[in-house]
Amino acid sequence: MLRFGDKANLWFLIAPPTIWALHFLFCYVTAAVICAKSGLSADLRPIQIAIGAATVVAALLIVAAGWKAYRHWRPSSELPPYDDPSDDDREQFLGISTFLLSCLSLVGVVFVALPALFIADCR
Amino acid sequence: MSRARPFPAAATLGILALSACTGPQSALDPAGEDAAEIAGLFWQMLAGAAVIWCLVLGGSVLASWRGRSLWQVATALKVILWAGAVFPTVVLAGLLIHGLRLMPGLRATESDLRIEVVGERFWWRVIYHRDGAPPVTSANEIRLPAGATVEFILSSPDVIHSFWIPPLGGKTDLIPGRTTRQVLRPTKPGVYRGACAEFCGASHALMALTAEVMTPDDFARWLQAEAGPAAVTAGPGPDAFLRHGCAACHTVRGTEANALVGPDLTHLGSRHTVGAGILANSPAAIARFVAHADTLKPEIRMPSYAMLPETELRLLADWLASLR
Amino acid sequence: MSEAPDQALLAAQEDRLRRVWETPGGWRYWSAVNNTEVGVWYTATSFFFFLFAGVLALIMRGQLAVPDNDLVSPGLYNQLFTLHGTMMMFLFAVPIFEAVAILILPQMLAARDLPFPRLSAFGYWCFLIGGVFVAGSIFFNAAPDGGWFMYPPLTTDPEFSGIGADIWLLGLSFIEVASIAAAVELIVGVLKCRPPGMRINLIPLYCWYVLIVAGMILFAFPPLIAGDILFEMERLFNWPFFDPSRGGDPILWQHLFWIFGHPEVYIIFLPSIALLAMIVPTFAQRPIVGYGWIVLAAVGTGFLSFGLWAHHMFTTGLPIVSQGFFSAASEAVAIPTGVQIFVFVATMLAGRVVFAIPMLYATGALAIFVFGGLTGVMVALAPFDWQAHDSYFVVAHLHYTLIGGMFFPLIAGVYYFYPFVMGRMLSDRLGKWAFWLMFTGFNIAFLPMHFTGLRGMPRRVFTYPEGLGFDLLNLVSTLGAFVMAAGVLVLTWDLVRPLNWKPKAPKNPWNAGTLEWAEGDPESPWGIRSVPIIESRYPLWDQPDLARKIHEGRFFLPDAEEGKRETMVTTVLDAEPLQVLRLPGNSFLPMLAAVFVGGSFIAATFHWWVTTILSGVIGIGVIMVWLWTGTSMIPEKREKNAGLGTVLPLYASGPSSVGWWAMFITMVGDGTAFGSLVFSYFFYWTIRPDFPPPDATGPGQFYPTLAAILALLAWGLMLLARTRNRAGHELKALFMVMGSAFAALGSGAAILWAPYVTGLEPTRDSYDATVWVLAIWTAVHLGVGVLMQGYCVARGLAGKLSARHDIDLQNVTLYWHFATITALTTALVTGLFPLAVGGG
Repeated sequence: MLRFGDKANLWFLIAPPTIWALHFLFCYVTAAVICAKSGLSADLRPIQIAIGAATVVAALLIVAAGWKAYRHWRPSSELPPYDDPSDDDREQFLGISTFLLSCLSLVGVVFVALPALFIADCR
Repeated sequence: MSRARPFPAAATLGILALSACTGPQSALDPAGEDAAEIAGLFWQMLAGAAVIWCLVLGGSVLASWRGRSLWQVATALKVILWAGAVFPTVVLAGLLIHGLRLMPGLRATESDLRIEVVGERFWWRVIYHRDGAPPVTSANEIRLPAGATVEFILSSPDVIHSFWIPPLGGKTDLIPGRTTRQVLRPTKPGVYRGACAEFCGASHALMALTAEVMTPDDFARWLQAEAGPAAVTAGPGPDAFLRHGCAACHTVRGTEANALVGPDLTHLGSRHTVGAGILANSPAAIARFVAHADTLKPEIRMPSYAMLPETELRLLADWLASLR
Repeated sequence: MSEAPDQALLAAQEDRLRRVWETPGGWRYWSAVNNTEVGVWYTATSFFFFLFAGVLALIMRGQLAVPDNDLVSPGLYNQLFTLHGTMMMFLFAVPIFEAVAILILPQMLAARDLPFPRLSAFGYWCFLIGGVFVAGSIFFNAAPDGGWFMYPPLTTDPEFSGIGADIWLLGLSFIEVASIAAAVELIVGVLKCRPPGMRINLIPLYCWYVLIVAGMILFAFPPLIAGDILFEMERLFNWPFFDPSRGGDPILWQHLFWIFGHPEVYIIFLPSIALLAMIVPTFAQRPIVGYGWIVLAAVGTGFLSFGLWAHHMFTTGLPIVSQGFFSAASEAVAIPTGVQIFVFVATMLAGRVVFAIPMLYATGALAIFVFGGLTGVMVALAPFDWQAHDSYFVVAHLHYTLIGGMFFPLIAGVYYFYPFVMGRMLSDRLGKWAFWLMFTGFNIAFLPMHFTGLRGMPRRVFTYPEGLGFDLLNLVSTLGAFVMAAGVLVLTWDLVRPLNWKPKAPKNPWNAGTLEWAEGDPESPWGIRSVPIIESRYPLWDQPDLARKIHEGRFFLPDAEEGKRETMVTTVLDAEPLQVLRLPGNSFLPMLAAVFVGGSFIAATFHWWVTTILSGVIGIGVIMVWLWTGTSMIPEKREKNAGLGTVLPLYASGPSSVGWWAMFITMVGDGTAFGSLVFSYFFYWTIRPDFPPPDATGPGQFYPTLAAILALLAWGLMLLARTRNRAGHELKALFMVMGSAFAALGSGAAILWAPYVTGLEPTRDSYDATVWVLAIWTAVHLGVGVLMQGYCVARGLAGKLSARHDIDLQNVTLYWHFATITALTTALVTGLFPLAVGGG
C-alpha cells in the first residue's frame, strides 16, 4: 500500500526543481506580457524589482528544502553510497539527492535572474 | 576579400580554423562591429572549449587506463564535485554574464539610417527611409554607409524568411503579421553577400542578397542617384517592356510601369546580381532570367518568357542592363 | 528452504511456466504481446527506419558534394531533409528508447513483463503503421517538405503546401499517441513492478532514467499534440490559428513545437546515457561512484530541459530580456550534463577498466558528445546564436550531440545487450571496424560543417554557388558521410548475419551485476524463473548464489499453478509486495485496434471522411472488446500464495492497482495538452491589443456557467456512485452513473451551444477559433467520459463490476476528476475571462 508519507518523499525530491520552474515561468511571463503590451520603450524597472523579489522568495524556499534534505542526509553519520536495503539508507539517499537538486535549482534560479540584472528594457 | 586557399583534408583543427574563416559571406571575416564582437566571442569560446575538451578526454582516457593504481571512492567523488559540478558552474556563470553584457549593445535603439526590408518568395524588397524626403525603393541589394548605425525594419507578406548578412552581424526573422528589428554597424567598405536563413520553400537556397558597404560620401551620392528615375525611359526597350506585360508586376520609375508585385527595376543595371543573388549581372544574365525564371528559381511567381523571340529578349535585357 | 531442490517439481513448474508464457508459432506469432517479442520487433523496426533516414541523408550529401549540383530537384531535396529529420526524431530516436526499454526493463526489474503488455503491442503496431505511412510517402513524391519543424505559414497555406503536411501531422500524431502510451507503461513499470526489496535507493540507474524520460514525454509530447490539433484544424477547416490576417500568429506554433522540441532532445539523449550508466560500472567492475549524483543529474536535466525551448527562437525578435532567461537556462542545463560525464570518469578511476567493444563505443561517444556539448554552450549564448542559428554550425552541433549523446551510446548498448537478447556474441573484429569507420567518417563529415556554417552557409539549402568558400568543406563532408555509412553497413552486417555464425554467449558474458543477466537464457520465455528478493544495487555481485536460487525457484512466483500469466506488484518507495498481477495473454486485438485507429488517421489525410468515421468507430469498438475481455478480470480466488509464505491478493483497485496509476498518468498528459490549448488562448491575449476582439459576440456567460454546473453535478454523482458501490449498493450506484452521464451530456451540449448560439465563426478570427477548439476539446472529453460510464453500466449489468471488484468504476471516477477540471477551466476561461478584461 502506498502510504502518504512515502509519496511525499518522492514529491519532496522534485520540489526544488519545481520551484525553479515556477520562478522561471514567472520571470518569462511577466517580462513577455509587459514587453508585448507596452512595446519597445517599456521600462523594466518594476519588473526588475518583481523578479528580484521572486528570486529571493524562490531562493529561500529552495534553501529551506535543501536544509530539510540535509537533515535527511545526515552526512556526518555515514558516507555514500547508501546502498543497503534499509529505511536509513533510503532516507539518506533521498536526502542527498534532494540536497544536490536543491543546489542545482538554486544555481538555476540565480542564472535565470541574471538577465534582469543586465537588461533593463524591452529592445 | 581573399578567396579561401585550398588546404589538405587531413589538416589539423588549427590550420582548418585559420584558412576556413574568410569569404564574402563569412561570419568570421567581419566587416561590421556586431560581427566583429560575435566573432571575437566565438574565438574566445573556441579556445576555452578546446582546452576543456582536451582535459575531459585526457581525464577519461587516463581513467580507463589499465594497470594504474585504483583511486579511493572519496577521491573519485571529489572529482565529480569539483570537475563535474563546481567547475562548469563557475565557467558557465562567467560566460553567461559576459554574453548578457554584450546583448544590449548589439541591439542599439538609436540609429542613423532606417531601411525597411520585406522578404518575399524569393527576393528582397528594400526601402530606404530618408528624413524629409520620400523613401527610395530598391530590391535584392543593400547599400550601407560605413560607420553608421543602421536599423532594419523587417516584415514578410507570405512566409517566414530570415535576414542574414554574416560579415555584418547576426540574423533576424521576417515574420508575417509581425515587424522585427535588426541593427547593424558596418565598418569596412566592400561587397558582401547575405542570404535567407529560414527555410521558405523550393527556392530558399536561391534567395540571396548583396550588401555593399560604402564610404558615407559615396553612399549619399548613390542614394541620391537611386532616388531618381530610370536612365532611359523611352525607346524600343521600354516599349518592349510594356508590350510584354512586364509592367503588371514591376516598377521602372519614369515609365508607366509602377506595379509593386515584383522587384523594382528602376536601377537594375547598377546592381551586382540578377534574380536575388543567383546570377552575376549582365545583359545575357537578364535575358536568361527573363526567359527561364521558373527553372532558374523553382516556384517563383514570375512566369518564364521563353516564348519571346531572341531579338525581343535582347532588346529587353539590353535596356534593363542600361538602367544604371 | 531445503538445500536439495526437487528436480521433478522444478521440471513440472518450468513446464507450466513455459506453457503459460510460450510464444505462439505460425501466423499466430504476430499475436504475441510479451515484451521479449514486442521489444525485438520495435527495435528492429526503428533500426530499419534509421537506415532508411540515413540513406536519405546520403542522397542529400551527394547533392551537396559540389556547388550548383543537380543530382536531385529542389522539391525532392526538401522532402529529403524534412523526412530525414522527421524520421530520425520520431521514427528512430524516440521509438528506439521505448523499444530498448520494453526489451530490457522487465528483466532488469525481475518482472515477468510490463504491467500492460497489450498496450506495448498496440503501441508497436501504431508505430509500424504510422511509420510506414510517413516514410512511404516519399515514393509517391508526397512526403512532407516543410522541414521537420513545419513552420507555418509555409506549411499551412494551401498555395505553398500539399498533402505532405497532412501526412506529417496525422501520421505523427498517431505515433505520438503511441509514445505516450509507452511512457505510461514504463512509468508504472518502474514505480510498481519492481522485485520485493528493490527500494528506491537500489533501482538500477537505467530505470531511474526511464522513469524520468517517460515523465518528460508525458509533459513534452502533449503540447505538440495540441499544436497538431490547431494546425490540422487550420489545414482542414481554415481556422486561422496561425494566419496573421485573421488574428492568428505563426509564432504560436513555434512555441508549442519547441516546448516539445527541446525536451525531446533530452528525451533522446538521457536513455542512451542510461545505457552508459549500466555499461560503465560493468566494465569498471565496480558499483557506480556517485549514484545520487546521477539521480540529481537526470532529474535536474529533466526539469531544466523544459526551460530552453525559446533558444530555438532567438532570431524571431523576442525581447533580449526574454532571450536572456532562456540563454541562462540553456547554460544551466550543461551543469547536470557535466555531472553525468564525471560520474562515469570517477567510476572508471575507482575501478579497473576492462576495455571491451562497448567501452570503445562509450569512449567514442564521450569524445563526440563533449564537443557537441561545448558547441551547445556556445549557441546557448544568444549573441553567438544570432550568427550560428539556422546555419551549418547548428547542423554540426546537433549531430555532435545526437550522434555522440545518442547513437554511439546506443551502439555500445547494442554490443552490450546483444547476448542478453539473442544469446549470441557480436563480433569484436566487425565491431572495431564499424567503430573506426563510423567515428572517423562522422568527424570528417561534421567537423568541417562548423566552419561551413560560420562561413555563411545556411541550413536546408539544396545547393550553393561556388566561390563562397563552401566548396571544399562540403566535398569533405560528403566523403566523411560515406565513410560513416560504410561503418553503419559493417555494423548492420554484424547484426543481421545468421545467428549460428556467431558464438554462443556464456551466461552473463560481461560479469555484470544487475538482474537482467540472472536468467542467462533468452530461450526461456518466462523472463525470470522466480522473482527474487533484492538487497543490493548489483545483486549478482553482492548476493551470493542469487542466479542459482532464482533458477531453482526459491523466490516468488516460481510456478503458474492456475495457468495464468502473473507478475509482482510492489510499493513505490520500498518495493514491499502488494499484489500478484494477472497479465493478459497474446491477442490480435491490439493489432486490430491499431489498424483501425490508424486507418482512421490515414483516411483523414485524404479527406475520405466516411472511411475516417467508420474506421474510427470500429477501432473504438475493438478497443472496447479488448478492455472487456482483457482488463480488470475478476480472479477465481481472492489471493494466492506467492511463495516464501507470502499470501498476496490477486485483485486490487483504486490507488493500489496499476490501472489507476496508468489512468492518473495518462490524464496528467491529457491535462498538459489541454493546458497548451489554454496557453494558446492567453498567448493571443498577450500579443494582441484586442483580445477578445470588440466585434466578437460570444460565448457569453450563461451557457458556460450552465456547463460548469452540470459538469460539477456529473462529477458529484460519480463520486457518490463510487462510494455507494463500495458500500454494496451496486444497483443504486449504476443509476447514479447513468444520472451522471445525462448531466455530462447536458454539460457537453451547453459548452458547444455557447459559441454556436452566440454566433462565433471559427473561420473569422483566431479568438472565435480558440473558443471553439476549447469547447470541442471539452465536449469530446465529456463524451469519452459518457462512453466510459456506459461501459461501467454494462460491466455492472454483466456482473463484472461489484462492491469488491470496482476497478472500472474507480478508474472512471478518476477520469472524471480530470474531465471536470477541464470543463470548469474551459467555462472560466471562455466565459469569465472576457468579462475580466472588459471584452465579450
